[in-house]
Amino acid sequence: MEINAQQIEQLYAFTRKHYVEHYDLQTELVDHLALGIERQWQEHPERSFDEALQREFKKFGVFGFTEIVDQRQKALSKKYMKFIWQHMKEYLTLPKCVFTLSITAALYYLIQILNLRSLPVLTVMALLFVVYFVWSAIRVYQARKKRESKEEKTWMLEEMIRNQGNTVGAVWLPFHFIQIFIHIDDGNMADWNPYFLAAICFVFVLMCLALYVMTVEIPKHAETYLRQEYPEYDIA
Amino acid sequence: MSTANLYRGSLTTIIMQLLEREGRMYGYEITQKVREVTNDSLQIKEGALYPALHKLQAQGYLTVEAEKVNNRIRKYYKLTESGEKETVNMLEDLKQYIQDMQLVINPKLSY
Repeated sequence: MEINAQQIEQLYAFTRKHYVEHYDLQTELVDHLALGIERQWQEHPERSFDEALQREFKKFGVFGFTEIVDQRQKALSKKYMKFIWQHMKEYLTLPKCVFTLSITAALYYLIQILNLRSLPVLTVMALLFVVYFVWSAIRVYQARKKRESKEEKTWMLEEMIRNQGNTVGAVWLPFHFIQIFIHIDDGNMADWNPYFLAAICFVFVLMCLALYVMTVEIPKHAETYLRQEYPEYDIA
Repeated sequence: MSTANLYRGSLTTIIMQLLEREGRMYGYEITQKVREVTNDSLQIKEGALYPALHKLQAQGYLTVEAEKVNNRIRKYYKLTESGEKETVNMLEDLKQYIQDMQLVINPKLSY
């Protein structure tokens, strides 16, 4: 006896009910459950679909699918960080590092020439990242709503790419707090230790580049990354 | 102590060794094959198998193929080139571990 198309839909609904929200993981678990049920039917054809499903689900342990979802999220987060690093490496090696260093130098000299005070400059720098963080949080919220509406299939990695790694945006927040310590001395930035100022400029440029990579470059290559990760992307 | 605790640390090695031998396999098949070759003495828990497979995939040791089978999609895992190399290393480590354990259990006393 084989699982029919309607029962497959029931299995998808079952995984969703047990907090597996992404289609990629749902698909893998649906096939696993289906195989287990079919195997049970070979030995116990009298067993109902629901009974066989419950027996199969028990094999996943008391936490059900939770551990699998968590670990999958962790594995893909690492992969996403690798994507960021791969793109960032380009900006730290020739020829693109010339661009990175030029922008850093331009920012450094601009601050010196304009004789700016530290408070407005650092506040603007921090505000940029706070605005980004809020925007990113809104996107995560919208994605969750979309997923809950179940109108379309969502892929875990795709969602990470579209939402810039979901939680990765949070790493920019400390910048806001760093500036609180620095701007206590609201002096002229041109009077700062030149190495310190250069380091601040370099870190700022790196953060901007990381944002560019996350919001423009990685989404641009999203299709390639998704096809690498999900061979089922085209047949689903 | 149950043997499950002893097997747990070797789960990755077991999966990779199976894939090296069988070519490509899907999750359910791995659980069944392990039961079959160990005469049911080793049962891989589903809750441990998939996290291990996904981790190995993220590390670049496994690659995935998908096929439509009956009315559903099946994902097959197989070793990548670096996965094959890692399997050799893992098996070496496991053999060394077994040798060391034998020395601990049956120490050759010398005077």
